[in-house]
Amino acid sequence: MKSRYEEQFVSIDTVLENLRDVAYIANRQMAMTVYLACRLEKPILVEGPAGVGKTELAKATAACLQLPLIRLQCYEGLDESKALYEWKYGKQLLYTQLLKDKLDDIISRKNGFKSAMDKLHQYDDIFFSWPFLEPRPLLKALQEKDGSVLLIDEIDKSDDEFEAFLLEILSDFQVSVPEIGTVEAVTKPLVFLTSNNTRELSEALKRRCLHLYIPFPEAALEREIIRRRVPDISEHLAHQVVNFIQDVRKLDLKKVPSISETIDWARVLMILHAEILNPALVRDTLNIFIKFEDDVGVVAEKVHQLTAMAVK
Amino acid sequence: MERVLEDFVVAARTAGVRISISETLDAARAVKVVGYRDRALLKDALAVSLAKTAEEKIILEDCFERFFTFQFFTAASDRTGKDGDMPNLMQTESDLVRMLMEEDRAGLIAAMTEAARLENISQIRYFTQRSLFAMRLLGRMGAGGLDGQIQALRRIDTPAATTAAARLEGARAYLVDNVRNYVQNQYDLFARNEGDKRLESELRLVKLSNLEQRYFARIHNIIQRMVKRLNDLRSRRRKAARRGVLDFKRTLRENISYQGMLFAPCWKKKKIERPQIVVICDISRSVLRTVRFLLLFLYGLSQEVARIRTFVFCTNLVEVSDILGSSTVDEALTRIQGGTDIPLIMGRTDYERSFGDFRRDYLAAVTRKTTVLILGDARNNYNDPHPENLKVIYERCKRLIWLNPEVPAFWGAGDSEIRQYTPYCTTIKECNTLEHIERLINALVRR
Repeated sequence: MKSRYEEQFVSIDTVLENLRDVAYIANRQMAMTVYLACRLEKPILVEGPAGVGKTELAKATAACLQLPLIRLQCYEGLDESKALYEWKYGKQLLYTQLLKDKLDDIISRKNGFKSAMDKLHQYDDIFFSWPFLEPRPLLKALQEKDGSVLLIDEIDKSDDEFEAFLLEILSDFQVSVPEIGTVEAVTKPLVFLTSNNTRELSEALKRRCLHLYIPFPEAALEREIIRRRVPDISEHLAHQVVNFIQDVRKLDLKKVPSISETIDWARVLMILHAEILNPALVRDTLNIFIKFEDDVGVVAEKVHQLTAMAVK
Repeated sequence: MERVLEDFVVAARTAGVRISISETLDAARAVKVVGYRDRALLKDALAVSLAKTAEEKIILEDCFERFFTFQFFTAASDRTGKDGDMPNLMQTESDLVRMLMEEDRAGLIAAMTEAARLENISQIRYFTQRSLFAMRLLGRMGAGGLDGQIQALRRIDTPAATTAAARLEGARAYLVDNVRNYVQNQYDLFARNEGDKRLESELRLVKLSNLEQRYFARIHNIIQRMVKRLNDLRSRRRKAARRGVLDFKRTLRENISYQGMLFAPCWKKKKIERPQIVVICDISRSVLRTVRFLLLFLYGLSQEVARIRTFVFCTNLVEVSDILGSSTVDEALTRIQGGTDIPLIMGRTDYERSFGDFRRDYLAAVTRKTTVLILGDARNNYNDPHPENLKVIYERCKRLIWLNPEVPAFWGAGDSEIRQYTPYCTTIKECNTLEHIERLINALVRR
């Protein structure tokens, strides 16, 4: 049986177009990775600097496929009770209360202890069963009937232990719940993992994934993104903004501006009704895309020069 | 086509990309999906499934360009165009001759790569093998027949035959040239880094005192990698060691205050011990090299080692911890050797006076937790060794390790006083290669 992903994404070009329809401009490599991931049923590990659209890629893919996006934000100390499942303790307590009230009826005192125990055994499995299970993102993703897009965000922020725990899901799309057994995916979800590279991920994890590195986009691609995301912007302003940002990225900064910051800046310029870039305007709006005091100093020095180059 | 992929993986591995078998399988599946038709697409598919960091992607792309290059048999401009009468003069039974005459580039490349496959060119390891492989490839492609044909034409000795022979000779030179290039290219792909690897493993074993200056940068590289490995290894183990099992004896003792009810369990804990190190180095000329690399190593291990204090001596002994702490080991050593800002006398080595200095001024630096590393050849210029100074240090410290850069056969010969010091050392080790240093450090941080 063909999965939903394969039906929708018949070729790399369809992936590109579909993503474009939901206002996500991808390059060919990204589209191919998504296409391959659907075909090979492999998770994608997306790396790259902050703000280049790693998380957006997952969201856009979910939007194209019209599947639910299930997101798991990783952080230090995240464990399986928050990621996979938890027992509904309140409900279990209520159940024991209920059982206590009904106990007399069930084991009808007259018969001896042995038959009472036998009767009780018929009930014990209920306690750890599906109705008492609270599925968390990972389990939810496995249970979706039509499949889903599972986004495991910033995996590098989680602990080594959690990373090891993910391996079973990533390679076999199944998890083990000790009281119930192995739960397999109804339809295999499309998995995205993102990482900012704050720490090196383990070889085992990388081996199971397709590895996509998203760099800062080239000028043409970035212009297209701006035009798509900020539709009101005029052609030549978009051109200037992108040129300016591309030049700023070449400077030695603590944090270089990413696409999301370019988009923010373009939006701000639209609100200010700017027609073209000029040094005063750039200096006033510098804090939109430069986030460190030291960096502001570096860029402010060169504003004149950079603006002149961008406007040219 | 599987074979092509396998060879590519081998080439990528040689270039330094780590590729596991399962990744190779993934790549094969990915290639099956995208096909070999679109070059850019194929490159991306391989990059996505084989390379797992940004740096590896760059290496892989470079490797891809070199591997799938078809810059061979490009048109040779000096060769004359095709003549109509050529086929009449010679029997074109050989495919090779036909392809050469018709300038069938694709055919020639196909024949060459097929010959290369049959000859297992991915096994090439040494640059001396290049001519051999070129000869074998030519043989496979049927260049022998070409020679025969040229000779036959020469024997006919008519003007037409001579021009034909000349043309064939031109074609042969062209063929040989291209095959040579191809073999060189394959050698670059499959073997160049291999040589580097071999050199590195040899550098680990070579005597540090014999090491040439030009290898220093490389050695620093190796040390950095070793240090990183050690740091990774050790820090991971420490985390695991934190978990314990029930310490029953302690639980009983602790719970006496609760009238013997086992109320508060105690767990067995492994003590996390980061070694404190005192290094005492002889920096006379004979030992300096080893000192340099040992210090490089030790100061790289900042994660593992709690505190290092370093003392150097020649005629007298001085503490240099602050110099080493504030600048790189290289700079620090030049500064120490220059001796302008420290009261170090670079005269004859005097172990007696130096250990005496240490005992008088710095004995407090040695505690029950300290490991003392002494690096020196114990050549005391026939002075009295006074081992009791060392004895005092030995009795205060956890362990005292003496590293001797000389081979054991020379220990105790001439003015070497190492035998006098032996009773006051926990261990004495020969230490004159990187391998020795690594082993030592390994033992040092293992707990």
